[in-house]
Amino acid sequence: MQTVFSMRKPYAIAAILCLAAVQGIAQIPLLDNPARSIDKAEPVQYLYPEQLTLQSGQSTPVTLHFRIAQGLHINSHTPKDQFLIPTSLTIPAGSGVKLDAADYPAGVDYALPAAPKTKLNVYTGDFAIQARLTAAPGDHLVQAKLHYQACDETQCMPPRTANVAMDVIAK
Amino acid sequence: MKRNTLVLGITLFVLASLGWAGWANWEYRQQAAARRMAMAKMDQPQLMVASMSGAMSGMDMPSPLINKPAPSFSLQDLSGKEVSLSSYKGKALLINFWATWCGPCKLETPWLVELRNQYAPKGFEILGISAEGDDLAKNDTAGWAKDKAAIARFVQQEHMPYPVLINGDSISQAYGGLDAMPTSFFVDRKGVIVATQTGISSEADMAAKIQKALND
Repeated sequence: MQTVFSMRKPYAIAAILCLAAVQGIAQIPLLDNPARSIDKAEPVQYLYPEQLTLQSGQSTPVTLHFRIAQGLHINSHTPKDQFLIPTSLTIPAGSGVKLDAADYPAGVDYALPAAPKTKLNVYTGDFAIQARLTAAPGDHLVQAKLHYQACDETQCMPPRTANVAMDVIAK
Repeated sequence: MKRNTLVLGITLFVLASLGWAGWANWEYRQQAAARRMAMAKMDQPQLMVASMSGAMSGMDMPSPLINKPAPSFSLQDLSGKEVSLSSYKGKALLINFWATWCGPCKLETPWLVELRNQYAPKGFEILGISAEGDDLAKNDTAGWAKDKAAIARFVQQEHMPYPVLINGDSISQAYGGLDAMPTSFFVDRKGVIVATQTGISSEADMAAKIQKALND
């Protein structure tokens, strides 16, 4: 029995390595992930980075880039009216990654054609949020959330929350 | 000896495969990140909001509700009193869906107040229907209370003299989905929708539609 086992041991090791190789090769993304393809119905899209490598346990600055669909604007983080919904970034608890701080860009003053004297403070086009993240050791698939409310020149859409998907590797 | 060589060969092949898989994966991620960054740095792409159920595509789009009876509803006002559309039979109405977070809604509110006061003696009324809270669960009492307080503050600040009803989202499907605010329906004395408007236009435009509803 001992002899049989010792004879088969190299084969067993080879078989395990083969399985590991198959598993490794299966991780290669042959096609672009459809979940990350551009959804044109979303007023705000997260652009990049989609993968981050951080030192675990250390608060690290990260710049998150977003794009607002043409013809739309969203409120800045500090809108001028108490009723308007500010743009804000959050990371759900239990993600393995903590949002220590978020530094939002200053908005630009903007007036609707119907009321040229009333200034709103908004983001248009591309904008970036300077975040500081602290991650626990390991690989974390983080689904951060960007809450915002978009309008065009005459009308507004209900508030929405965009997914900010990031693969955070903390070493 | 021959067997050992075979096993060694297989092992080396497998290790080489693992190494290649790891390298290919890393390479792919680098290329994907570079592609995304390059795309982001390009001039503004044609990233348009393709459709918001038609709501953002233009305020002059004819509504399928035109010339049809206004869908009936019964909603609570801010004091908790039930208000139904049928109780306004014989009056021309402007059913105005709005939200506190909606800038254009706030801009048109003074026009609405003025128009309501101007045309009320002729048998005209506005029903302001707040579409706040569309993301709240029915049992989220704290969320509803917070929304209601915000609506009440807005009503007080803007001196709105007409009934303001809450939970407009519960009747949004009957009124075509209401994917954008403000959205208004002008209803004649027989309860038929004679004009609609999505988005802010002008006080004069709204006045013309009210006159149409009054059949003046």
